[in-house]
Amino acid sequence: VTAVGRHHRTRYNTDQWAGRMLMARKDAASELDIISRALARNRLGVPSVVFFGVAGAAPLTVIIGAVSAIYAFNGNTAVPLVYLVTAGVLSIFTVGFVAMSRHIVNSGAFYSYISHGLGRVLGVAAAFVALPAYAMMQIGLFGLFGVVASGVLGALGVNASWFACALGAWALVAVLGMLWVDLSGKVLGVLLIAEIAVVLVYDAVMVANPAGGSLDFSTLAPTQLASPDVVAMMVVAIGGFVGFEATVVLSEEAKDPKRTIARATHWAVLLAGLLCGLSAWAIASAAGRANVAAAAQAEQTNLVFSLVAPHVPEALISIGYVLFMTSIFAALLAFHAAVSRYQFALGREGMLPTAWGYTHPRTGAPVIGSITQSVLALLVIMTYWLLGLDPLLYLFAWLTVTGGLGVLILMWSTSAAVIGFFVRHRRRENVWRARIAPVIAFLLLSIILAATVIGLGEVLSMPEGSVFRWVLSAAYLLFALLGAGWALIMRVAKPEAYAMIGRGADGRTLSEIPEPRRPHSHADPFSTHMPSIK
Amino acid sequence: VLADQYFLIAHEDRTGRSRLHPRATGLGLAAALLSELVLEGRIGVADGDIIILDRHPPGDALAHDILDLLIAQPQHRDVRTWLAFLSQDAAGRVGERLMRVGAVEPVTRRRMLSTQTLYMPNSAEQRNAAAWAPARLANLLVRGMELTISDRVLAGLVAATGLTRHVLYDFEMHRHAFHSLPSAVGSLPSDLRELIEYTEASVGSALTVGRR
Repeated sequence: VTAVGRHHRTRYNTDQWAGRMLMARKDAASELDIISRALARNRLGVPSVVFFGVAGAAPLTVIIGAVSAIYAFNGNTAVPLVYLVTAGVLSIFTVGFVAMSRHIVNSGAFYSYISHGLGRVLGVAAAFVALPAYAMMQIGLFGLFGVVASGVLGALGVNASWFACALGAWALVAVLGMLWVDLSGKVLGVLLIAEIAVVLVYDAVMVANPAGGSLDFSTLAPTQLASPDVVAMMVVAIGGFVGFEATVVLSEEAKDPKRTIARATHWAVLLAGLLCGLSAWAIASAAGRANVAAAAQAEQTNLVFSLVAPHVPEALISIGYVLFMTSIFAALLAFHAAVSRYQFALGREGMLPTAWGYTHPRTGAPVIGSITQSVLALLVIMTYWLLGLDPLLYLFAWLTVTGGLGVLILMWSTSAAVIGFFVRHRRRENVWRARIAPVIAFLLLSIILAATVIGLGEVLSMPEGSVFRWVLSAAYLLFALLGAGWALIMRVAKPEAYAMIGRGADGRTLSEIPEPRRPHSHADPFSTHMPSIK
Repeated sequence: VLADQYFLIAHEDRTGRSRLHPRATGLGLAAALLSELVLEGRIGVADGDIIILDRHPPGDALAHDILDLLIAQPQHRDVRTWLAFLSQDAAGRVGERLMRVGAVEPVTRRRMLSTQTLYMPNSAEQRNAAAWAPARLANLLVRGMELTISDRVLAGLVAATGLTRHVLYDFEMHRHAFHSLPSAVGSLPSDLRELIEYTEASVGSALTVGRR
């Protein structure tokens, strides 16, 4: 090969190389996804979604409030096992639930799953169960907050009744709810991490100082599950997991709607389950299995603090009390938002009067839903105060457990909806996600629900022959029937609105814009609706 | 121009703040920008997807920029994705465009940790022009006059994002306008109507979540 020839070949090669570079760059350019990246920057990753999910059921509230309440009122020591088993059942439920969430655009809440999977009539019925359930959970928490805050203030030398404290919290929640202030993101994350840290420290202290000098694992024995009472207690544990429904609401806000939400939901369930189960076990070990019920009855919500107090510095107990209060407050706020959001979605879909679908222009707060919940809460708190009922047992325990029953009914029907949804079409989900897990979840939840309906009276230690033993379950049935009836009426009266059911806040076309109210929403004499576009 | 009109309606003329939740305003502006391209015949909307009809650059720099982006990112066709993407900086970009025509002036505000540039009318003349935007739309609707297609889209976006009460603030005087509003929107071509519906849905879900 001559020099010229070599030169030629080199140049030829260079051309090829440059060409290849350009080609490669062109490919890279089309892969460079500006849109996804720009959107992802502003969106939530797995940890943020988990925070949202777990914060709703603030772990400290559940562990210090709910767990000691169960020990006190029930006397059954299977609590740790109950939390772990519930977490297991809900994990299985989550598999199908999350798989279905991938196929429903902008899925709002459980009821929209039910209307997609089992039809709109049952969807509306579910929504009518969900509203009182979440409302009761929130109102019940006011009782806990009142008692705890009055105790803390009492220790500081301020004498305030639980009622006064509950009213204070109520006013704050009502105002923040109207302003649609979200304790989201960083505040919530910091609080949650602090709470979890405190819980872990307390657990370690309790485990390190067991009653009788040795650790007791008998509270974890699986044989306890044979008793129907224990299965019924799972309804109480459900209260510790309610937040995980909220993760799916965020699917449009997630970095990768397909994966982020699935992971975050699983994490939320596992985190809550393990934390609560571990703590409940630690409490039982520290107090001693035989004594834990008596200790819980004596100390009530101070149970954990009294158990760890001899072994940790005073400051850590004070931090615990403060975090306990903020945790209940965060839960109050989260539930308040959840309830008003529910009402907003229902209002937008036309299931509630259209006024409920109205949001404050600047803040985006679902004003009417927020006010409704606040008024309802105030009425209930006032009633309890006037009747002089014990806020811890009758307000907190009864209402949250009854709310938990409603949420359990929702989860149970959602698990049926998941089966129904994938029976029609598997939508490229694998057999485990689309078939096996939903069926197992449905069966397990059916058992828990049946046991709960039978054993609710025992769980709440109601007297034998009390009407409340069956009236609560019956009330949910009544609400469900009302919802179904309302859906049937709507199918005839407002077919366009009926067709929109299940679309969540996405729903509502321009044809249904309500006639706007006057600014400042004073009562106005005109409530005629616009003629819809034909 | 459509998005300019929407901007002036959606922001307070005295403080430059958004009258709506910032995300709702962003979505409204994004939809207005896309509508401009639809009105110019550059893109179409069908079944939730954006279709490029004409690659010739529009005269307006911002519209040109957005069309280029739509062409460069063919893997994204979903209207809601584009609404979400464009809504992120729509307020600033439309503000800049308004600044170029002299309708607003940039005002930099120092906030706690960051500075924020607001575009707001500053002179009396600019204020008048800004206040005229909602008044003009209300006027057209109240009188039941024939609306141009661009004004009908504007009315639709105003309704979809929740600004109706601001534009038609006088309940008695504007009562008739509430009734002519749906028919104004209903008579739009299907792509624009679809775009407005998607905007409303996006605003709904953004508000449901309640994040900023």
